[in-house]
Amino acid sequence: MDESAILTRTRTYVRDTFLYMRPGFALGDRDRLLQRGVIDSMGVMELIGFLKSEFGVVVADEEITEQNLGTLADIARYVAGKRGNGGRTGGGGGEG
Amino acid sequence: MCGLAGVARHEPRGVSVETLDRMAAVLRHRGPDGCGRYAGARVGLAHVRLSIIDVAGGAQPLGNEDGSVLVVYNGEVYNYLELQAELAAAGHRFRTRSDTEVLVHAYEEWGTAMLDRLNGQFAFAIYDRRKETVLLARDRFGVRPLFYSVAHGDLFFASEAKALFASGEVEAAPDPVGLDQVFTFWAARPPRTVFRGVHALEPGCFAVWRDGALRHGRYYELDYPEGRDESPEALPALDRLLGSSVALRLRSDVPVGGYLSGGLDSSISCALAARESPFALRTFSVTFDDPRLDEREFQLLVAGQLNSRHFVRAIGPGDVAAVFPNVVWHAESPLVRTAPAPMYLLARLTREHDIKVVLTGEGSDELFLGYDLFKETALRLFCLRQPQSRSRPRLFDRLYPYLDPRGRRGDFWRRSFLEAGPPDDPLFSHLPRFLLTSRIKDFYSADLRATLADVDPLQELRAALPPRFAAWSPLNRAAYLEMVTLLSPYLLSAQGDRMSLAHGVEGRYPFLDHRLFEFSARLPTQSKLRGLREKAILRRWARHVVPPAVRQRPKQPYRAPDIPAFFSPEPVDYVRELLDERSPARSGLFEPQTVAALVQRCRTGAATGFRESQAVVAVVSAELWYRQFIANTAPSRGSLAPLPQPDVALEDGVAALS
Repeated sequence: MDESAILTRTRTYVRDTFLYMRPGFALGDRDRLLQRGVIDSMGVMELIGFLKSEFGVVVADEEITEQNLGTLADIARYVAGKRGNGGRTGGGGGEG
Repeated sequence: MCGLAGVARHEPRGVSVETLDRMAAVLRHRGPDGCGRYAGARVGLAHVRLSIIDVAGGAQPLGNEDGSVLVVYNGEVYNYLELQAELAAAGHRFRTRSDTEVLVHAYEEWGTAMLDRLNGQFAFAIYDRRKETVLLARDRFGVRPLFYSVAHGDLFFASEAKALFASGEVEAAPDPVGLDQVFTFWAARPPRTVFRGVHALEPGCFAVWRDGALRHGRYYELDYPEGRDESPEALPALDRLLGSSVALRLRSDVPVGGYLSGGLDSSISCALAARESPFALRTFSVTFDDPRLDEREFQLLVAGQLNSRHFVRAIGPGDVAAVFPNVVWHAESPLVRTAPAPMYLLARLTREHDIKVVLTGEGSDELFLGYDLFKETALRLFCLRQPQSRSRPRLFDRLYPYLDPRGRRGDFWRRSFLEAGPPDDPLFSHLPRFLLTSRIKDFYSADLRATLADVDPLQELRAALPPRFAAWSPLNRAAYLEMVTLLSPYLLSAQGDRMSLAHGVEGRYPFLDHRLFEFSARLPTQSKLRGLREKAILRRWARHVVPPAVRQRPKQPYRAPDIPAFFSPEPVDYVRELLDERSPARSGLFEPQTVAALVQRCRTGAATGFRESQAVVAVVSAELWYRQFIANTAPSRGSLAPLPQPDVALEDGVAALS
């Protein structure tokens, strides 16, 4: 699965899960999920559960960063990176 | 413990016995042991009684020597023996041993200044027939309820709003602003309620009805004159106060039991009760099938140490669904959590074992900073003082250990706390909770949104804060907000008074003795929250009272099944009907298509988070509430047995009350 397919699935998931009750809400792929109130601290947990069940990506504690999960585009890049190298290392930083 | 109701006319056209009996009948669960009434030209009073003190002599309405002052009263004044001695020395003659009669004479002696002298949990109405006034008053923290409404120029008052509607003269209509407060704070903010024109008397307040007008006063204000250092006298003082508070709360002519959650607070109150009580203590607990919610291990540990007779009610998801319509009927409000349901079942268990008075631990978390919310506030401030620090935010990972560990760590999780609000906002501590709860509003209908377009419950709360608020420390501000937005209007009412009195069980709260509150408010913050250790001074004090395993365990929040209560995975029958977008009795509060999407996600197991579980509870409870109170399409309550022969039946012209 390439990055754009991951992005499409993640976008659908976020819409169906966090935004179905806000039908007029326009969310761009580079909008910050926390700042725009799409995801809160509880939503982070749900999102991480989704990444595991949908893409088989286990998010390590140190990878739960704004850089990896901040926007839909960030998530797609991070997940594609994890899958691309067998999920052995994080797809992009994190403060550790 | 009891229920009261009454009417005060602006003209002397009488209050009928039938009206009073209808109002009393819907409160029967609060006082199954007896009833009484006074029907006069201007004022009518009704009372249903749960006999606890002076079982033989305490029937109400009760009057003074010449019948010129009458009282109906719900609650306990624990220092009544001391007040009785003081009043007797001043020349008052007592005919009973009841705390009720103390109120009458205290009113005669001191007027409304009497309120400062009462240590207890109470709501009452005193009719002064000479002055033609009615005094309504409520205890300092709002343990006992009192609602009122002015309709057609007359005053109606009662322990529960349903009695106002039973008069036939007060209309039950939704108050959209009150409902919006429920979906922000978990409860409407007194004096507002979820019913238009129905008000809750605020804790620590009184009101006097005279010449067709109601004038309000406050006799008690929360204050936090925080000390710089902990006095060496603090621990002995805490010991004396807790001992005295429990001893006063064991004053009863019937046996007193204890609710035992397995946490520190109920363990303390039960341990002190076991030590002080002349009766063998009986303790009562709920356990949960879901191990994430269950605390039985700690309950059994404490019960074993106290050698109490311990009774348990196991709660599964089906139990919550089965009683939830009754829970809403008694709570009289939409809810955002199912947590009142197990409390309803716990009270039923207690009553089945012939206990009608229980000690319970509420209030301690507010006084001694027990909740995670206080730690979260302290941490957010700590981090925001040094925004560049990378190590400080890691402390957030130690919060909420009971939540799913997935995602409960890392920068993203930490940032969600730091972006939750600026520290100069008076509501800083509570913004994360208020904003999370407000996500329920995503399900509002277009009509409700339009009605509430200019309403901002957060701004209204900011504007209602007392002038002293700004001078308090951030954690005391948080404690104050917790007391006024959650403790009184939700924990002590929807989850407290209304659930226990549904079964004629009176809860008593040793931590809500105002002397103990004032002691805690003077303590420096670090005596309460030391680092991330909550209730520090209480833990130190409890060393010889509570088993180490209970004393050292972190605070466990009390939660109950929510979505699994109503979907398994198909909705239980009444929920299917309530949430059906074709249902003709729908409240119109929520958008049918959005609710249908929520239902679909519950049925497929996709809805697992806080936002959706609180939305399910909110929508189900609001639809039940609407049908029960507004549309009157709910099935008959079935609990309206005819009132028994009254113990007291007074009418105008009766000079002496014997």
